[in-house]
Amino acid sequence: MHIMEGFLPLFWCIFWYIIALPFVAYGVLLLNRLTREHRDSLPLLAVAGAFIFVLSSLKLPSVTGSCSHPTGTGLGAILFGPFLTSVMGVIVLLYQALFLAHGGLTTLGANVFSMAIAGPFLGYGIYRGGNAIGLNTFVTVFLAAAFTDLFTYVITSLQLALAFPAQSGGIMTSFVTFAAIFAITQIPLAIMEGIIIALTFKYIIQARVDILLKLRVLTKDQIKKVQESLA
Amino acid sequence: MMEQYLDGYAQANGLRDVDTRLKLLLGLGAILISLSSTTPWTPLFIAGTMAMVTLFLAKIPGRLYLTLLLIPLSFSVFSVLVILFVRGGGAPLFIFPVAGISLTVTTGSANLALLLIARTLGGMSSLFFIALSTPMIEIFSFMHSLRLPPAVIDLSMLIYHFIFVLVGEVISIYNAQTIRHGYTSLKRSVHSLAMLGGMLFIRAWRQGEELITAMDARCYDGKLELPGEQKNTRPVLIAYIVSYLAGCGVLSYFSSSLVIF
Repeated sequence: MHIMEGFLPLFWCIFWYIIALPFVAYGVLLLNRLTREHRDSLPLLAVAGAFIFVLSSLKLPSVTGSCSHPTGTGLGAILFGPFLTSVMGVIVLLYQALFLAHGGLTTLGANVFSMAIAGPFLGYGIYRGGNAIGLNTFVTVFLAAAFTDLFTYVITSLQLALAFPAQSGGIMTSFVTFAAIFAITQIPLAIMEGIIIALTFKYIIQARVDILLKLRVLTKDQIKKVQESLA
Repeated sequence: MMEQYLDGYAQANGLRDVDTRLKLLLGLGAILISLSSTTPWTPLFIAGTMAMVTLFLAKIPGRLYLTLLLIPLSFSVFSVLVILFVRGGGAPLFIFPVAGISLTVTTGSANLALLLIARTLGGMSSLFFIALSTPMIEIFSFMHSLRLPPAVIDLSMLIYHFIFVLVGEVISIYNAQTIRHGYTSLKRSVHSLAMLGGMLFIRAWRQGEELITAMDARCYDGKLELPGEQKNTRPVLIAYIVSYLAGCGVLSYFSSSLVIF
């Protein structure tokens, strides 16, 4: 969910740029190190970034009838970790603003924080956590992708509430109202994205499991277990 | 899907030859003035003038422009409604009794809602101006001159390249699925879309691996060179843009006390 150009007051535009900066800067540092050490990583990161962009411009079958798009950043976080995803997210969000007129330039900081930082961090945490306690891989991927999406929308609601608190009841009242209104479209969307990303993951495991092994997304034992369950 | 991408229009627009920095100065300047205005008048003025520049000077088709304006609408309507009923402040203006609770619109919230609609219109039309008059390639040269890390610029350029490659893949997979009744029910749609996602990722990855070989064959050493293109910056244009922005600033200053409610 993108905050449109012009919607956030100047103070909050700058505020979210400053909050997002350290994450992206660390991501750029990692990117520099990665491209120096493994020169073949840049094209692969690029296809992943383009994949996120194209995925996020696909229309999902939606229950509520409104046009809804996945965020795609959940899969990015699972595959590449949250910091690299945040760098790809900045580029993807810039392209969405300039190619599709979704989002904006002054609101880029806020959108980057909700979509490319907060969501992916939670999704990555859920994926790693689920793996650590031995949860079924597909359930873990579903949860990671769905919660990446949900958390993104919670943060967007919070950003709007901080910028426009209610005079009576303050930020909390405003936050609850924004969250409740966006929930109508966002909760079915998050579940749908979770299902689709989990199934996408299944196809990747079936056809090119070596990619997941190379990125250390899954260990050899996990892959064996998953392939046995699919066979 | 492809036709929604604005870059194609930007490649052939009427302001293609104007210096990138001037176009960015005009677009970003207008956005910032829009944002710092405290009444709806200046953002509305900016929305109108930027739309005219985009339609008549950059020669963008009007139909496309109208469909673009619908995109921010759904977001703004929801958010503005929340602000209208929740924000409060000032005297009550309207009271709607709905299911036992009365929803109140006050002068403070009505003014803010109008201001936000105007700012979104002003901001979006300035963003449309940048998007429709400046092709990405020119923005890469601009990023280069800002001395952003080369890895980031290279990554942006490669992502840009792959977006078009992948969109082609999506179109062919999607067509193949559609003629096989892949999207006739919700359950089938979910399966088809997931299969599309999986295949897209796998094909994208293969493209990436092939590119590594191609780049190695052409002696890639960690930086893609951009052919620098120097364009004439006509002083007249700078004068126009600066005086337009100054005019908007003055308008914003003098209209700051003209509240509607």
